[in-house]
Amino acid sequence: MSLIWVPVLPLLGVLVALILGRFPRSMLALGTAILPAVALGIVISLIPDVFAGNIPTFYAEWVPLLSLNVSFMLDGLGLMFTLLILGIGLLVVLYARYYLSPADNAGRFYASLLLFMTAMLGVVLSANLIQMWFFWELTSVSSFMLISYWSHRSDARKGARMAMTITGAGGLALLAGLLLIGQVVGSYDLRTVLDSGTLIAESSLYPVIVILVLLGAFTKSAQFPFHAWLPQAMAAPTPVSAYLHSATMVKAGIFLMARFYPVLSHTELWFAVVSLVGLTTLLYGAYTALFKHDLKGLLAYSTISHLGLITLLLGLDTELASLAAMFHVINHAVFKASLFMAAGIIDHEAGSRDMRKLNGLFRYMPYTATLAMVAAASMAGVPLLNGFLSKEMLFAESLHQDILGSLSWLIPLLVTVGGALAVAYSLRFIHDVFFNGEPIDLPKTPHEPPVFMRVPVEILVVLCLLVGVFPEFIVGDLLMAVGASLMPTGVPQFSISVWHGFNMPLLMSLLAVLGGIALYKQRKVMFTFQARFVEVDAKMAFEEGVQRVIARAVSLQEWIDNGSFQRYSFWMIVAAGFALGAPLINLAEARGSLPLTGIDPVGLGGALLLIVGSVATLLLSHHRLLALVTVSVVGLVVSMAFAWFSAPDLALTQLSVEVATIILFLLALYFLPQRIGLHHLSPGRIVRDLGIATVLGALVGTLTFAMLSRPVDSISDFFTANAKTGGGGTNVVNVILVDFRGFDTFGEITVLAIAAIGIYKLLAGIRLFAPSADMDGRPWSKDANPMMLMQISQSLLPLALLVSAYIFLRGHNLPGGGFIAGLITAIALIQQYIANGVEWMRDRGDLKFQWFIVCGLSIAFLSGAGSWAFDRPFLTSWFDYFYLPLVGKFELASAMAFDLGVYLTVIGATLSILANLGKLTTGHRPTRPDGGS
Amino acid sequence: MMHLPGLPVLLPFFAAVFVLLPWFNTRLPQQRIVTQLFLLLLVALCSFVFIDTLQNGPRAYAMGDWQAPFGIFLIADSLSAFMLLLTAILALAAHLYACAGEDETGRFFHPLFLFQLMGLNGAFLTADAFNLFVFFEILLIASYSLLIHGGGRERTRAAQHYVLFNLIGSAFFLIALAVLYRAFGTLNIPDMAARAAQLPEESIPLAKAGGLLLMVVFGIKAALLPMHFWLPRTYGSTSIPVAALFAVMTKVGIYSLWRIHTVVYGENAGEVAGLGMDILSWLAGATLVAGMIGALASKTLRWLIANLIIISVGTLLVSVSLQTEAGVAAGLYYTLHSTFVSGAFFLVAGIILMQRGQAEDRFVRSRPLLYPRLTGVLFAIAAMAVIGLPPFSGFIGKLFVMQAAYDAGQAHWVWPLILVSGLVALIALSRAGTTLFWRTQGTVVPEAKERVSRLHFMGASMLVAMSVVLVIAAGPLTEWSMRAAQDLHAGISISALNRVVEGEVVE
Amino acid sequence: MELIYSITVGVMVGCSVFLMLRGHTFSIVMGLTLMSYAVNLFLFASGGLATHEPAILADGSEYSDPLPQALVLTAIVIGFAMTAFALILAIRARADLGNDQVDGRASESDVLANKLEGEKLRQSPEKPSGGKYR
Repeated sequence: MSLIWVPVLPLLGVLVALILGRFPRSMLALGTAILPAVALGIVISLIPDVFAGNIPTFYAEWVPLLSLNVSFMLDGLGLMFTLLILGIGLLVVLYARYYLSPADNAGRFYASLLLFMTAMLGVVLSANLIQMWFFWELTSVSSFMLISYWSHRSDARKGARMAMTITGAGGLALLAGLLLIGQVVGSYDLRTVLDSGTLIAESSLYPVIVILVLLGAFTKSAQFPFHAWLPQAMAAPTPVSAYLHSATMVKAGIFLMARFYPVLSHTELWFAVVSLVGLTTLLYGAYTALFKHDLKGLLAYSTISHLGLITLLLGLDTELASLAAMFHVINHAVFKASLFMAAGIIDHEAGSRDMRKLNGLFRYMPYTATLAMVAAASMAGVPLLNGFLSKEMLFAESLHQDILGSLSWLIPLLVTVGGALAVAYSLRFIHDVFFNGEPIDLPKTPHEPPVFMRVPVEILVVLCLLVGVFPEFIVGDLLMAVGASLMPTGVPQFSISVWHGFNMPLLMSLLAVLGGIALYKQRKVMFTFQARFVEVDAKMAFEEGVQRVIARAVSLQEWIDNGSFQRYSFWMIVAAGFALGAPLINLAEARGSLPLTGIDPVGLGGALLLIVGSVATLLLSHHRLLALVTVSVVGLVVSMAFAWFSAPDLALTQLSVEVATIILFLLALYFLPQRIGLHHLSPGRIVRDLGIATVLGALVGTLTFAMLSRPVDSISDFFTANAKTGGGGTNVVNVILVDFRGFDTFGEITVLAIAAIGIYKLLAGIRLFAPSADMDGRPWSKDANPMMLMQISQSLLPLALLVSAYIFLRGHNLPGGGFIAGLITAIALIQQYIANGVEWMRDRGDLKFQWFIVCGLSIAFLSGAGSWAFDRPFLTSWFDYFYLPLVGKFELASAMAFDLGVYLTVIGATLSILANLGKLTTGHRPTRPDGGS
Repeated sequence: MMHLPGLPVLLPFFAAVFVLLPWFNTRLPQQRIVTQLFLLLLVALCSFVFIDTLQNGPRAYAMGDWQAPFGIFLIADSLSAFMLLLTAILALAAHLYACAGEDETGRFFHPLFLFQLMGLNGAFLTADAFNLFVFFEILLIASYSLLIHGGGRERTRAAQHYVLFNLIGSAFFLIALAVLYRAFGTLNIPDMAARAAQLPEESIPLAKAGGLLLMVVFGIKAALLPMHFWLPRTYGSTSIPVAALFAVMTKVGIYSLWRIHTVVYGENAGEVAGLGMDILSWLAGATLVAGMIGALASKTLRWLIANLIIISVGTLLVSVSLQTEAGVAAGLYYTLHSTFVSGAFFLVAGIILMQRGQAEDRFVRSRPLLYPRLTGVLFAIAAMAVIGLPPFSGFIGKLFVMQAAYDAGQAHWVWPLILVSGLVALIALSRAGTTLFWRTQGTVVPEAKERVSRLHFMGASMLVAMSVVLVIAAGPLTEWSMRAAQDLHAGISISALNRVVEGEVVE
Repeated sequence: MELIYSITVGVMVGCSVFLMLRGHTFSIVMGLTLMSYAVNLFLFASGGLATHEPAILADGSEYSDPLPQALVLTAIVIGFAMTAFALILAIRARADLGNDQVDGRASESDVLANKLEGEKLRQSPEKPSGGKYR
């Protein structure tokens, strides 16, 4: 039977639980239990194999590149934990059937429970480090779901978040540790790792690895100072506590330490850290447990203390210590699970967990009481019970230690104290709850639970006894197998038996018991002393901590991002400055090797105009109309400059665009405040901006010069060479636009079209009250359509259309082309709008801009796709010369069709942009109540 | 077959123009159906391109049939194919969601959506620097128009910032292009890569200035600190499906960095090799930190997601700054993950805020959700994926990046950043989730019933499911992304491109 | 000539940058327009400066580099579209937000201006002008 089924079956069980959620409880519980039971059966069937020293494995590739593979193995250690997880898991399933109230959504509960079971099994069976981490984090997630099961309760939510955060953080540390191990060893395969202990121990990363892995383990196993989450997790339903917080999840950290015990331990660092942390946790937990009035609180802290005990054992530098640790894992799981269940029963049947109210329950539920008392006795370490044995071993091991040097005698002493405390709180558990007078105003009168709710407890308690009496017989072989995985070099001879004769450990146990009784007798004194400490609610402390972090983040965020665009643009420009500056600084001489051309007056004049214009714009920026004028001057000069530098197409385009832009600006200015004060300009801000403006200007200027004075070996000769022969046009620029780089133009008209659509959206449903007077109160002319303009524009229209047609046709060979022609047409039409108003145009058949755009784009597309017919790529141009009588020889080029598309799109887009905006200005203009000026 | 690389650009264009026909203006249902069909077609097409490039290597397309480096080329290699498929699937889901009603709040949603895709795909395919600029502008102008879809104060303000910011960016783009043209004498990217090694001494400063400025431009797109400010407000205030689609926008910046800075300024670029990568690594780290702060400070789910995107961007930029094949591969896989998951997360956020009435997606106590189960499951998966918790795509992505970082010898600063960012995401999202789903009072919001439709859930589930797919298929996907990275580093020769003009397949 | 050209471009860029750092969309767009002029000149310069050379193919003479010219043409057009969008966005912002400011705070100057023009401004979500379709 393959090993893979062991984790997979419970996973399928999740689905079963979800499906059966609606069915009666018993059916649900039964159905949920089946698959894990089968898995347990499989494991049991594998036991002889493992005891024989073989290691069943399963391997399948998943993400080979990251050496993350599905890889399981069942060695002694894994076997022990698997038995715990499945065994106790099944008992909890049975127990929960009676614990959950009819109101609870049992399906969800069982689903989460089995998901958690799967995760745990994954952790203990993984033979691949990353896969192990995978399941490790899954345990955190599923436990979050379980702790927050009663999500309407704030403490459940907070407790769950706390547990999730702390264990999650540990998990991240663990991931780093595991990855490091993998990188050091060169493989994530667990068995390879376990075989290369020296490799890790000798690597310089060893200390880092140990710390990271231990962080993972300590957070999970609630070791001091990471213990705080465990008591908060008691907000979970008791079955969860019994399962996660005694038997399994908290043991995952222990498992981790045990898993890497062969490769990471046996060094000063390991022993120092692990043993001291363990010892501290042991004492702290035991002491605090004594003062908890909540049953589960007491058990939680006792769990912490016992986990500390196990950790301490793993930290003791003797061969048997680690074995004792594993033995105690079993024992603790058994008695603590039963105790939690008992506590759950009491809570369930008495309606309270407060030991100040619960008294003398023995009379009401003698049977349960007996069971609980036996388990508690085991927790206290009373002979003939399993707890006694492992504690005895701890005492024995604690005797020969030297990690504290000459102070090592402290260890046995402190351990004994811990034992005494354990006895004390166990005593309190027994005496306070079952005896000690009468119960005090309990919600309901306590009584025995339903039989099957008790069964799990019975089973576990019986186990306590059996192990306590016949240890060798029951767990001997198992421990041998576990030892094999902990000590690959060979397990030392050991005998666990009830009676070792009169020796030091026995004496220590005796002292512990007596001390415990004494402590309990003096509890009044201690309680009053303890009462003088202020009780800090870890949950609240944690929440406050997080809150503080968040508050800090908020203030920081507001400091970084103040919602002002100026800051954004400032930083972007600074970044650009650095990008340009860095190379230029290393550049000794901006000037390159090219000879410079001489200065000619015209150019100089133009340059001066540009400079003056720009500076004027800057100075007048607060008076928008004037600024607009100066900008347009600059634009005009630029277009002239293009003409001057023998680029007529550019000149024409710039010119026509200029006109359109200015119209646009004017329309916009109509709605925007025409003058803005400079009050909000702080002098500091002005200086800063002037500074960065100067810097960037200087950089770009230098770059221009560097560029102009450096030669370039360009591809452009190709275009001049092939324009006529390949593109069928003598206007190289136009041929480039419609042919060589027609795809750019294709994109460019798309941009225009989209802009038109976007602007339509922007203006849709806009509500603006057009001003009827400008800033100085001068009213706008009421006469919307001046007569003269009307006359001129109407007579101009046909002329303009003719010109544009001409420009369009000559485009391919002479300056011009679809774009310029389109703009001219558009402007001519816009003129009609300006002159005659929107209504006038509408009467004469409102132009359907959308049609223009669609047709333009379609034509452009089709003229490009036409070449597909000839099995040529998109936009492949075709041209030929024809001869017609009268007309003479003329040329037809597919590029011209494309240009037609451009033409139409430009008209459509430009018109829709300008006209839509124009419509706002004209048409119904609401008269304002107050006279304005 | 030969037209294959061109189609991912031309199909959306054609579809957009088609849906733009005035006939559709008053027929929204028809617009929806037609657009959905086109999108399905696009997904099919892109999957085909994807498989084809994996089998037959890169394909090139000579626009206008002009030989390289003079004409404009589209190159579909496995890297671009990855991005195409990613975008197509994301778009399909986001559009499905939009069809549930978001598209009624303004006109021309569907054509704009398709134009947006055209721009994206073009940017992914083009092998020409200036043509890249053109497609950037297409996707930008489309994104402006989509951003303001539905209107409202917040969107207008966000649009103001976003638009102006990008306009300045475009100006810088042009400056950079001019310098690069003067330095390299060509615009064809493979040609630039070929020339980079033997640039004349005096052109090198130009090449550097242009390259660095281009890095700034792409940084703006990718939201690299300190150019990241535009992102949260834009994503946080636009309509849900648009925000979901925008999840891929930042990736365009990353992708362009790969195309230009990993290839042209790659390891064998002589003087200009590895240009600006050291600075980039610093800024990438800073971006991660900024994202963490923002995530902790977020007050609504959408802002939180936006800041988580900044974190993912930081991670990606880190992977870019590694300058290794593994780095690119890791980045590519992480791109798939973070795009799908952030997109999914926005859709889920939309579903949540529709059910919470006035409270929308603010982290305050409010009415319980109408569909807590399904919404909760989707939220949980998305959250776990973002945090990087197994068993969802995030942890593989982070693992990949971390391993790449270790191999590049950068683990000492990359690992802590990535791990801590995971922890921050964990804290922020666990708080968000518990508040949104469990801190409830009163009864469900009545109008939730008609607001939330099946389509919403379909769209969201589709993207959430992708996260699971990424994990199940992690084996092949990581292999393929590795191959894509190798192809990218290997580059493609002009002669190879020109064989296309003769009609051969590029090897 | 190159030097003068460079200085001119530099000055234009400087002025536009200052304008772009202002707090009102209009000024910024103004700056952007100026910037686009400068950028066009810059882009144009990448082809080198050539005066009195034919742009049209004739027999055997020198030509100025045509490629940058084509690029500038495209740039001009795209710039026009973008400027238009930004401007109208400013108007939209004026309608929705009451001013065209982007510095995240309303400056008294605008309050003043609004008073002067006695305008009522309110936000208005984009309505499908054809009402609900179907």
